[in-house]
Amino acid sequence: MKARVLHAHLHLLDRQVVRGDGRLLCKVDDLEIDDGYVTAILSGPLALGPRVGGVIGRVMTGVTRLFRMEEHPAPQRIPMGSVAEIGSAIKVGDLPEASLERWVRDHVIDRLPGSGGGEPDTPDPRPVRLTEIPDRERLSSLVARRVVDVVGEPVGQVADVQLTQDGPLLADNGQALRLSGLIVVPRHTGQLFGYERGPGGSSPALVRAVIRRLHRGSVFVAWDQIATLGDPVELAVPAARLLPLHELLQR
Amino acid sequence: MKKFFAVTLGILTAIGGFVDIGDLVANALVGSRFGMSLAWVVVVGVVGICLFAEMAGRVAAVSGRPVFDLVRERLGPRAGLLNLGASFGINLLTLAAEIGGAALALELATGIDYLLWVPGVGLVAWLVMWRVKFETMERVFGLAGLALVVFLVAFFALGPDWGELSHQLVHNPSDDGAAAYWFYAIALLGAAMTPYEVFFFSSGGVEERWTRRDLNVMRANVFVGFPLGGLLSIAIAGCAATVFLPRMIEVDSLGQMVLPAGLAFGQIGLALVIFGVFAATFGATLETALSSGYSISQYFGWQWGKYVRPREAARFHAVLLVSTMVAIALILTTINPITVTEYSLVFSAAALPLTYLPVLMIANDPDYMGEKVNGRFSNTLGTAYMILLLVVAVAAVPLMLLTKAGR
Repeated sequence: MKARVLHAHLHLLDRQVVRGDGRLLCKVDDLEIDDGYVTAILSGPLALGPRVGGVIGRVMTGVTRLFRMEEHPAPQRIPMGSVAEIGSAIKVGDLPEASLERWVRDHVIDRLPGSGGGEPDTPDPRPVRLTEIPDRERLSSLVARRVVDVVGEPVGQVADVQLTQDGPLLADNGQALRLSGLIVVPRHTGQLFGYERGPGGSSPALVRAVIRRLHRGSVFVAWDQIATLGDPVELAVPAARLLPLHELLQR
Repeated sequence: MKKFFAVTLGILTAIGGFVDIGDLVANALVGSRFGMSLAWVVVVGVVGICLFAEMAGRVAAVSGRPVFDLVRERLGPRAGLLNLGASFGINLLTLAAEIGGAALALELATGIDYLLWVPGVGLVAWLVMWRVKFETMERVFGLAGLALVVFLVAFFALGPDWGELSHQLVHNPSDDGAAAYWFYAIALLGAAMTPYEVFFFSSGGVEERWTRRDLNVMRANVFVGFPLGGLLSIAIAGCAATVFLPRMIEVDSLGQMVLPAGLAFGQIGLALVIFGVFAATFGATLETALSSGYSISQYFGWQWGKYVRPREAARFHAVLLVSTMVAIALILTTINPITVTEYSLVFSAAALPLTYLPVLMIANDPDYMGEKVNGRFSNTLGTAYMILLLVVAVAAVPLMLLTKAGR
C-alpha cells in the first residue's frame, strides 16, 4: 500500500481536534517535530502565539505565561499516538480538556443559576505538559526559512512541509508522519491555499489561476536533497535539479 | 407529510429570520431617498447570500465544520485572526443595533423610553441563549418575524403609482449625486449579505446535526426562504418610496419606518408591524450574540454550541455573556441605534471577502466534501461574486468618508 502523503499546512495545521466522545478540544496550533518525525500536536496560546507573531502574538504568549504557575510553561501536547483519524477534523482519544475551559466553568458558568452544574466533579487529569518546547522542535519554525542551493543561489522560502505516513508504528494508530519534503516558493506572496498541488478536481478557475500565477516558480525539495536544515536551509543540489511544483501534482 | 411540514416550517423560519434591523433601516432609508432605484442591489445581495449560504450549509452538513473553522483553516492563524477581529467587532456593533431596535419597538408599543428597555431586552436574550433549546429558539422568533409580511400587504394596499415605481427601477429619482447612491448600494449589499448570517446558518446546521440527508431541506430553506425574505426587504423599500419619497421626507427613526403599515391598516397594522419588528430584531439579537460566540470559539477550537449543556461549553457561554453586556453598555451610551446600524452595514460590506473566500475554497475541496464539491455553476457565480465583493470592500470605507456616511 502506498503511504499517505500530507501537507502540514494544507491538511493538518489549524484543523479542529475532536475527542472520542465528540467533544471539541482545541485546534492543531502547531506540530512538535523530533528527529525528522512529527511527534505531537501542540495547542493553546503558547503554540498559537508564535505563529501569529507580531505584537498580538507576543501578548498572547506573554499573558499566558503570566497566569501559568510553571517556571517554563509549555503548550498542551497531544502525542501523535493518540490520533485516530486525520480528516476534516483530527480525531483523538479521550484527553483532558484545556485548563482555561475548566477554570471558566468552575469560576463563572457553574455559579450562574441553571447551568446544570453543581454536582461535584471528579477532578479531571490535567493536560499533558512538558517543560518548554524549544522553537527548533516546532514545525512552524521551518516555515518561512530561506532556502539556498548548493552554490548559495537563493531558491526562495519554505511555504509548507510534506509529510509521509511511513514512519515506525505508533501505539495502535498507524505509522508516524515523516518529514519528507519542503515546498519552496520564490517570494512571499501569501497563502498557498492548496491550489498549486493536488488533489485537483473542480475549483473556481479564476481563483486558481490567480493563486498559481502568484506562486509561479514554486519547487518541491525532497528531504534527501537537503544538506543542512539550518537557517537558511542549504540544499545539496543546484536549483535547476529541483522538481517544479506543478509536476509534483501530476505524479 | 412530516417531511413537507419540516420543509415548510424551515422556509417560514428563513423568511422571518432574514429581515433584521439592518435590512429594515437600509431599505426604509433607501426607499425614501432613492425610491426603487436600488432594488436591484437587494436582488444581487439575495442571490449572493443564497449562493454562499448554500455552500456553507453544504460544508456543514457533509463535513460537520462550520464557517469559522474554514476561515481559520484556509486563511491560517494571522489572516484568520484579522478576520476574527473584524467580524467580532462588526458583530458587536450589529448586536448593539439589534438590541436597540428591539428596545425601540418596545418604546413604540408602550411609550416608555427605549433606554429603559435595553437592559431588559439584553437580559431576556441572554436567558433565552442560556436555557432555550436551539431549534425552539430559532423557530419561535423566525415565525414571529413573519408578522413583517404586513409590509408586503401594506405595499399593495397603499395603492402605489406603479408606473412611477417601475420608472424608478431604472432611473434614480434623487438628486443627491452618485457617491451617495453607491454608498447606499453598498449598505444594502452589506445588509443582505451580512457575514453573521453564514456564521449562524452553518453553525446552526451543526447544532441541528445536519447530515448529507438534510441537504435538500437545507437547499429548500435557502433557495425559497431567503428570496422571499428579500421580497419582504423590497416591500419595505417600496412602502417608503410610496409614502415618504413624494413628500420629500427623509426617514431617520424607527417610528417613521413602521408608519406605512399604519397608513394602510390603521392601528391593527401598526400593532402587527411593531410586533414584527420586535420579533425580527430580538431574533437577530440572539443570532448575532450567538455568532460572536461561534466565531471566537471556532477560531480557537473551543467547545461551542447549544447542543451541549452550558457548563460543557463554558468559554463559549462566557463569550455570549460578555458580548451581550458590552452591547448593552454600548447602546446605553445613548448612541443612536439607527446610526450604529448604518455603520455596522458598511463595515460588514468591507469585511465580506475575508469570510466568503474560504467558504468558496473549501466547498471545492474534495478532502472535506467528497463528491459533494461545487459544480461549475456555483464556481462561476462564486468567482463573479468574489470580484464584486472585492470591489465593494475596497470602495466601502472611502465612500463612507466621502459622503459623510450618506448625509
